Amino acid sequence: MSDILQGKVAIVTGAGRGVGRGVARLMAQEGASVVVVDPGVNVDGSGFDASFAEQVASEIRNEGGTAVACTESVATMEGGEKIIQSAIDSFGKLDIVVTCAGILRDRMIFNMTEQEWDDVISVHLKGTFTVVKHACILFRQQRSGRIVTFSSQSGLVGNSGQANYGAAKSGIAGFTKVVARDMGRYGITANSIAPRAATRMIGAIPESANEIRARGGVSGLSEEGELEQLDPDDIAPFVAYLASDYASNINGQTFLVWGGEVSLMSQPRPERSIYNPDGHWPTEELAPLAAGYLTKDIPNPAPAQPSR
Amino acid sequence: MAGLVEGKVAIVTGAGRGIGQGIAKLMAQEGASVVVVDPGVNVDGSGGDTSIAEQVASEIRDSGGSAAACTESVVSMEGGEKIVQTAVDSFGKLDIVVTVAGILRDRMVFNMTEQEWDDVIAVHLKGTFTVVKHACILFRQQRSGSIVTFSSTSGLYGNSGQANYGAAKDGIAGFTRVVARDMGRYGVTANAISPSAATRMTVSVPDEARDLRAQRGIGSGGGTVEAIRGEPEDIAPFAVWLGSDQAKHVNGHIFHVAEGLVTLLNEPEPVKTIHKEGRWTVEELVRVVPATLGFEIYNPAPAPPPTTT
Repeated sequence: MSDILQGKVAIVTGAGRGVGRGVARLMAQEGASVVVVDPGVNVDGSGFDASFAEQVASEIRNEGGTAVACTESVATMEGGEKIIQSAIDSFGKLDIVVTCAGILRDRMIFNMTEQEWDDVISVHLKGTFTVVKHACILFRQQRSGRIVTFSSQSGLVGNSGQANYGAAKSGIAGFTKVVARDMGRYGITANSIAPRAATRMIGAIPESANEIRARGGVSGLSEEGELEQLDPDDIAPFVAYLASDYASNINGQTFLVWGGEVSLMSQPRPERSIYNPDGHWPTEELAPLAAGYLTKDIPNPAPAQPSR
Repeated sequence: MAGLVEGKVAIVTGAGRGIGQGIAKLMAQEGASVVVVDPGVNVDGSGGDTSIAEQVASEIRDSGGSAAACTESVVSMEGGEKIVQTAVDSFGKLDIVVTVAGILRDRMVFNMTEQEWDDVIAVHLKGTFTVVKHACILFRQQRSGSIVTFSSTSGLYGNSGQANYGAAKDGIAGFTRVVARDMGRYGVTANAISPSAATRMTVSVPDEARDLRAQRGIGSGGGTVEAIRGEPEDIAPFAVWLGSDQAKHVNGHIFHVAEGLVTLLNEPEPVKTIHKEGRWTVEELVRVVPATLGFEIYNPAPAPPPTTT
């Protein structure tokens, strides 16, 4: 233990279980006072159980750390504001915000319901906004602050059966890049983590999606067996590092984290280009170059399968 | 000579103006029957002028093309379903969906209201879902179809003052990658275009954000996004090509299009990695990261040096 976050106040959403719990506990071990935010819902967003947040807060206090529980939902602006207020009321300030809260409602795109779409976008994407926006009001005034959001490989690369989750998680990556640009001038950093870990969220991927993936020969991003080996607590150290004063120059980035591995992800960059100096392509000139060069031998993540 | 999309039926949302209009017209010129979708709202999403879609459809018909106007909004599931139904009712089938519809509500994140957030996410992100989902029901049955969505450099790289728009547009990129994986096996393709063009949307970026950017010397895209130039019609040729049978092998990719430049963007990939057996401690990371992952790392908006008084 290095007390790297000594004297800091941190909010961790989704801290009742999984990756968030690991982050909350490690931050407390590193000296931060932690607001453990979790309304204790099920993986699909249903239900409510205040005991999860309280249990993690108790664990932290029992280990000699400082923590309070907060069961507000991130899905409303009021919830986001109350979560920030909880840090101020309990510990007098706020230095770090980590947004892990998330749910899953996997379904193939052609079967996905409006509710499945709305709920996932609401918790992940809006739930990141509601907390980060209110934190930024404070952070801007104090000219310091750390924001760590949670993206996903599903959004960055795409994972069949997760149109809602992929949209939300990729949206968080884009949101975080904008926040980095809005807030960087005030001495604040915003970065996102794409974690790989075995949590109850992974367990909730419906059988149908897994089966279809296997049947269609379309591999998911992670081999299930390998994923089961990955401990959600492995994500915490790098999050704590990003939240520390040592990481003041790291802003607007996405990191892939799993096991003992941390990778800086690339920004989108040109791979191949075609160019017409006249500005506007006549279609008959564009077509042969688009087919013959720009997209020649381009990988297809899900090639067409013969009809059964 | 047969057009690139001869005999196909295409839906183009946001086709009343700007990039969407250019795509709708070129689709028609290249032989497709086009559903011109636009409720005719203002750039901020307010209002509604049902004549805008009809006007574009008329122009297409006057030039000898085939088009139907549709003023349904993409923000509701019912709207998405009706838009797809319009294609089937008017032209008997659907082959291509292009989702251009979008609005802007720029604001720095600490001042952004819930309404500004919700409206932009609703039109761009959910508005892409509502149309694509219903198209996919058809596309899966017929085992063919082309989906072209619209992302933006604002999401891919980040653009100050556009937390809502950047979230929505990067969200569309992620959505499109998943749809490509859900639908590819059925012979359907889904790709996204990140366009650069001077339209009324880029004109509406508030002066406050633009001035702040300029003042602070903060570029909009890590030095990768040049000043906005080019005509909205410049985006159309590649969008139409993606909808054609020539592009059946192109699935799950993102292309940047600006004037005469068409660029295939890379998949996100690790550029630097640190690894150890077992879990890192924070102390170890403090020692290792500065010389590795953090070495010469690019900061898009560094804090100014403290002012001495």
